[in-house]
Amino acid sequence: MACTLFLAGCSGPLSALEPEGPSARGAATLWWVMFYGSAAIFVAVSAVLAMALFRPAPLRRLGPEGMIRWGGIFFPLSNLVLLVIAAFVLGERLLATPRDPAPLRIEAVARQWQWEFRYPDGETSFDRLHMPAGRDVDFAVTSEDVIHSFWIPRLGGKIDAIPGHENVVRLRADRPGTFGGVCAEFCGPGHTVMTFTVEAHEEEDFLASVDELGNGEGGQ
Amino acid sequence: MSSPAAKMAHGRNARLLLMAAGFTIWAVAFIALYGMLSVGCRFGWDRIDAVAGISVQRLQLLVLFAVHVAAGVALAVGLRPPFPREGAGGHFVRWVGYWAAVAALGSTVFSFAGVFALTACY
Repeated sequence: MACTLFLAGCSGPLSALEPEGPSARGAATLWWVMFYGSAAIFVAVSAVLAMALFRPAPLRRLGPEGMIRWGGIFFPLSNLVLLVIAAFVLGERLLATPRDPAPLRIEAVARQWQWEFRYPDGETSFDRLHMPAGRDVDFAVTSEDVIHSFWIPRLGGKIDAIPGHENVVRLRADRPGTFGGVCAEFCGPGHTVMTFTVEAHEEEDFLASVDELGNGEGGQ
Repeated sequence: MSSPAAKMAHGRNARLLLMAAGFTIWAVAFIALYGMLSVGCRFGWDRIDAVAGISVQRLQLLVLFAVHVAAGVALAVGLRPPFPREGAGGHFVRWVGYWAAVAALGSTVFSFAGVFALTACY
């Protein structure tokens, strides 16, 4: 029952385990690989421990040097090498490298404790982000006061919002839908409520939604 | 003036630092590369061509990488066996220092070889 309660926290609008875009999918894939990998390591170590207690003969044949060489060096080293390579490859995929034509660019400006989103034609929205589904969007993230962090768990990220500096993260929503976003860097007493809603639209709906903002319906 | 016994004790203590020397080089390399990566990106060095299509940013990271690898190699060579006779415990400390230096050198190459190929800025 405790497991069920814990696992219930793995779904919902902020679940990084229910990815809706390539960036979040990469992170989720790495998470599952690490989850199953660490489970296998736990089982293997438990088996060795049980052998040491109940059937020590095969381990004795391996000897202390063999145990150190295989269990202490080769095994963790091979795991770390695979994880580092995976992290490098996935990390490269997240980068907003220049390309032609440039993806849609939306500015995300953080301040205590609110998110402001600025669209290419000057429209703005607060704590509600509109984006098109099915194509890449570059988010230029910055802050007006302290360091915050921009994170949409089901799409990917996260990236720091730093005063006086602009970080860019490229995200894509595979399908239209509503997702949650949060500030992922402690930024003061209002940190926990510094959330925002992401609405991924079909192309036409996106344009209409942003047009409405231009007509003063962005709200605050 | 310190006594001969105190000098010997000091020498033994200083030898302990050998065990940490290799990974100290690794740590300095980490801080230098991380810091200069940020400085270079801030000043746009990745957009300035230095030589043969290599940017100033990548060149300075490669130089930092090479300097720390060279320091790691020099340390490992300096500590390599056969170890001098240094009394009780000295041999062991040298042995640990040497293998720690070899491990740190491997870690330096593995951890930071990304400067050759990974994207530096963006």
